[in-house]
Amino acid sequence: MSNTSTDPGASATGAPDVAVRLRGIGKTFPGVVANHDVDIDVRRGTIHAIVGENGAGKSTLMKILYGVQKPDSGTIELDGQPVVLSSPSDAIGHGVGMVFQHFMLADNLTVLENVVLGAEKLHGIGDGARTKIREISAAYGLGIEPDDLVADLGVGARQRIEILKVLYRGARIIILDEPTAVLVPQEVDELFDNLRELKAEGLAVIFISHKLDEVLSVADEVTVIRRGATVSTVPADSVTSRQLAELMVGSELPSPSTELSTVTDVEVLEVVDLHLPDARGGRPLLDGISLRIHRGEILGIAGVEGNGQAELVEAIMGMRPDATGRIELNDGDIAGWSTRERREAGIGYIPEDRHRQGLLLDAPLWENRVLGHQTREPNIAGPFIDRRGARDDTERIVREYDVRSPGIDTLARALSGGNQQKLIVGREMSSEPSLLIAAHPTRGVDVGAQAAIWDHIKRARRDGLAVLLISADLDELIGLSDTIAVLLRGRLVGTFDPGDVTPQQLGSAMTGATDEEETA
Amino acid sequence: MTGSRMTRIALALAAPALALVTAFLITSLVLILAGDDWLGVWSQILSWPTNRTMVNIVNSATVYYLSAVAVAIGFRMNLFNIGVDGQYRIASFAAAWVAGEALLPGPLNIVLALLAGMFVGAMWAGIAGLLRVTRGVSEVISTIMLNAIATAVVAYLLRKVAVREEGSNIISTKPLPEGSRIPGIPFLGGEIYGFVVIAVIVGIAYWVLLNRSRFGFDLRAAGQSESAAVASGINVKKMMLVTMLMSGAIAGLVGLPLLFGQAYAYGSTFQSGLGFAGIAIALLGRNHPIGIAIGALLFAWLDQQSNPLQILLDVSPDIVKVTQGVIVLTVVIAYEVVRRYGVRLEQRHVAAALDPQFQQKEVSA
Amino acid sequence: MRRLNKLTAAAAVTALVFAGAGCSKKSSDDESAAGEDCVEKGDVKVGMAFDVGGRGDQSFNDSAAKGLDKAACELGFEVKDAEAQDGEPESAREERLQQLVDAGYNPVVAVGFAYSASVGKIAKANPDVNFAIVDDAVEGENISNLLFAEEQGSFLVGAAAALKSETGTIGFVGGVDTELIKKFEAGYKAGAKAADPKVKVQSVYLSTPPDFSGFGDPAKGNTAATGMFEKDADVVYHAAGGSGGGVFQAATDAKKWAIGVDSDQAKTADESVRDSILTSMTKNIDVAVYDFLKGVEGDDIKTGPQVYDLKSDGVGYSTTGGHVDDIKDKLDEYKQQIIDGTITVPSK
Repeated sequence: MSNTSTDPGASATGAPDVAVRLRGIGKTFPGVVANHDVDIDVRRGTIHAIVGENGAGKSTLMKILYGVQKPDSGTIELDGQPVVLSSPSDAIGHGVGMVFQHFMLADNLTVLENVVLGAEKLHGIGDGARTKIREISAAYGLGIEPDDLVADLGVGARQRIEILKVLYRGARIIILDEPTAVLVPQEVDELFDNLRELKAEGLAVIFISHKLDEVLSVADEVTVIRRGATVSTVPADSVTSRQLAELMVGSELPSPSTELSTVTDVEVLEVVDLHLPDARGGRPLLDGISLRIHRGEILGIAGVEGNGQAELVEAIMGMRPDATGRIELNDGDIAGWSTRERREAGIGYIPEDRHRQGLLLDAPLWENRVLGHQTREPNIAGPFIDRRGARDDTERIVREYDVRSPGIDTLARALSGGNQQKLIVGREMSSEPSLLIAAHPTRGVDVGAQAAIWDHIKRARRDGLAVLLISADLDELIGLSDTIAVLLRGRLVGTFDPGDVTPQQLGSAMTGATDEEETA
Repeated sequence: MTGSRMTRIALALAAPALALVTAFLITSLVLILAGDDWLGVWSQILSWPTNRTMVNIVNSATVYYLSAVAVAIGFRMNLFNIGVDGQYRIASFAAAWVAGEALLPGPLNIVLALLAGMFVGAMWAGIAGLLRVTRGVSEVISTIMLNAIATAVVAYLLRKVAVREEGSNIISTKPLPEGSRIPGIPFLGGEIYGFVVIAVIVGIAYWVLLNRSRFGFDLRAAGQSESAAVASGINVKKMMLVTMLMSGAIAGLVGLPLLFGQAYAYGSTFQSGLGFAGIAIALLGRNHPIGIAIGALLFAWLDQQSNPLQILLDVSPDIVKVTQGVIVLTVVIAYEVVRRYGVRLEQRHVAAALDPQFQQKEVSA
Repeated sequence: MRRLNKLTAAAAVTALVFAGAGCSKKSSDDESAAGEDCVEKGDVKVGMAFDVGGRGDQSFNDSAAKGLDKAACELGFEVKDAEAQDGEPESAREERLQQLVDAGYNPVVAVGFAYSASVGKIAKANPDVNFAIVDDAVEGENISNLLFAEEQGSFLVGAAAALKSETGTIGFVGGVDTELIKKFEAGYKAGAKAADPKVKVQSVYLSTPPDFSGFGDPAKGNTAATGMFEKDADVVYHAAGGSGGGVFQAATDAKKWAIGVDSDQAKTADESVRDSILTSMTKNIDVAVYDFLKGVEGDDIKTGPQVYDLKSDGVGYSTTGGHVDDIKDKLDEYKQQIIDGTITVPSK
């Protein structure tokens, strides 16, 4: 790959056609590095795609470019001038506009009203604005009629209004965040035609995605980001989606666990033919999933996010009443059970979003110890909460799991991500579950906490715990799992042994880049 | 952790204090601008009440307290039961009707009427709960609409069962038999409602249930974070419905001190608007049983002490409505300001306690 | 944020409720007495407790205030008044009366039947103080009940309506469905039938207790009256307090007649609608109040029910605008027959 990547430093110095130049951008949140050493050049009159896994740092990077967040290090140059962007209005002032994945349109207003909202000073709110909108629409082939009511328009048209809004405000550099996620294929083609129009008019378009085929069909250049840093920038016409997938995954896979296998033949979880329909009528979210996990086994689920991981976890946890299929825990059918019954039966759960699902942020640590375990010892005494018992056990978790907190009366919100996560892991382990469902257990935690959490999971596995591990982090998946299964579009499309899987194999299976060779 | 506990208590008291001072200033400003004797108004309101007024304050606070607890139960699970007003009126009517019929002798009749009131209040609130759980209708909207419907239903039913005294224009349910009244408790030479005891019991039960029981934990967890509650195994929809029913049941008690201790019948002069006062007091009291008690006494104090303003100073007692309204608005703002300050304080405290390097940085939440 | 928004919304709703309660009332101001020819003595202090609305309601509170002010002027009484608040508890009414007593006011006049229970109780507790209550028959040794034969006055305007009607259909809009308002309806119907046995009377109440909004909702009054005018009625009588304004508006819009109540509304209603007011059934609360206070002056207080009827000029009909001049003889004939007892007007 290295011979195909351009060297941004050499080719672009001082070149007038570079619209955006990022150099050495770094951004650190306490305990977590979101971006480091990001170098990107976006040329005018091109579509530049930025691809990477969720959590790879794409969105932080775009927030930096749009002035939402300030970088800790590095420089931003727009049209050759170094700039400091401290707010979105700053960014708009410099000709940078962003189209978000979720539209920000008022349904009950007309296109005109939506477009001028907040930009009344540019061309007024009357005929001046109307004329301007028609002009822009005609110039870029957007096909927008200013007096249409937004409520009457489809998703594709709404997206074009968002683009028009950005153009109306004078943007010459347009960032689109996963614009195809909400579109049907027909609309995707139309969008790409529009983007080509923008390109032809000399604008720079930055296109964020993880759908590689789409990226290759529309982009001129592709920058791959992994773990917060730019890996490579390649011309789109000289790369295949499979090569891109490998870049996303990384050229070197971490070495698998050197520990002895502790897998037994005692089945803990068996899922047979699990289906979950899409309430909005799209393709099923889960489509015939079957898997089994034994005592002492860690089954890792790999896959690009949004392919059914969250749904799989929630279906097993009993949070998806629409799911059909058989779920057996320790040989008992739990398919019709409530979440609480499943937890009581011995499922521990580390949710993927600890703020939304794992914690009561405004409650003290000891109450968070009770959460999810409020029907079990040592937290209860009859119908009452056993405060003494819960508090003592929280002290134990804080000690044994090294949760750094001044005390157990501290609010969960005040802890750092790593310490919050260690508390959750300690809590879920403390009821001695037979199955642990761990969704991205180390996402957004610092390196120290990550190692500690991995150790806890490994130790529990030695003691006979069965683990379903969902992760986007291949280090984690390969380092911990006994088996890796790949989830793509709601289906399990391949099973790999972490000992001899290649990055190519994983990359292909995860992105569906080459379906025909999926189980190599 | 006594240090952080003290800080937390200090912060908890800071917000209402801030709100009260603001309300005092704004009210004074209104009085001064209107050219009224603002010093006179405050010296009347802040003077020590007569014994008779004291009795009235306690009585009025009892009713407010029940109303605020009913609202607070909903607040604790992030449900806004604006419909306590309708719930207590329809429930008081039902209780008055049942008690007036005297189906059971003496005290048993009281118990029956209490249960009837709580049941009807719960059912009326349950309609909103059911709509929320099954159809996703915001309880704010549905309970407010149910208030209007309650007014009409009570008016309709009252005509059906009303008895009229010759020459009187007041229509009301059949008066409670002598044996079915709750005797007052002697206090400062007057009598306070016997129902005060029930209000205290409700307050204690509320506290134990919410803060000490498993059920209360589930309720609070669902109120703090619905998604976390679901993941922890709580059936949030069921909790919503149960919470609404409980809130309605307590709302069913709101009018009963008046019924059993003073009016002895539900009629056209039965006190209205108690549910809205309850919202204000629950906000002011931070949903805490002691806080609510203080808030209820404060509101009752303001109400009763302002009564003579018109007679003594020619100032309309409506001025305390302004004060009360301003308290409600400022208290919400003050709580949020203080809460944010408290979170930042705690994060800094945690960072400082753990790692000297982090002292400068804020921990991301 | 979501939580804060919701909280703020709830607080705003609450504050609105308070604000609503606050702005619906006027503070009492004592521009009352102080005419130049007034007597100044101040040996008698009169307290008056108004119903919701107080001074300025252009209805019965104002009428009572007029009697009070007249007494203040002509008899040289010192007066003090206080008004009720919407949705107040019984204890607030008791407190108001007791505070007037405590402040040395004797007698104390309560306006409106809402004070029924509280007057009964406070009068009992203060046997040395004289009480009067308007529109209620609560009993007590030191209570004077100022009652009115509304049915007699209503009889006369009912007769006027029937005589003036060209369609043979007339209407009645009652504010709240109470015993008191039913007396108006009964008299009105009886008078109409007496004048024209074939007359049709439509009748509507705007609200039912405990909902008293029918006394203060002009929009409701307008809707009800418009409905009647559309169904052939050409004269509509209202006994609906503040809602009456809507009835007058409807009559003006439909170019039909309306009949006012309590005071001579052709003098007090909005000027734009005065021409549509055929006549008004006058209920002279001021006369009753003044009478009672005069009794205080003369140390001749009549306790118990004091009924003010046609004979004592407590009720009557107004002639402002001259619209009933042509039938005045006929109406006065009925009046005489009622006074003589030849006609007995039903009150139910």
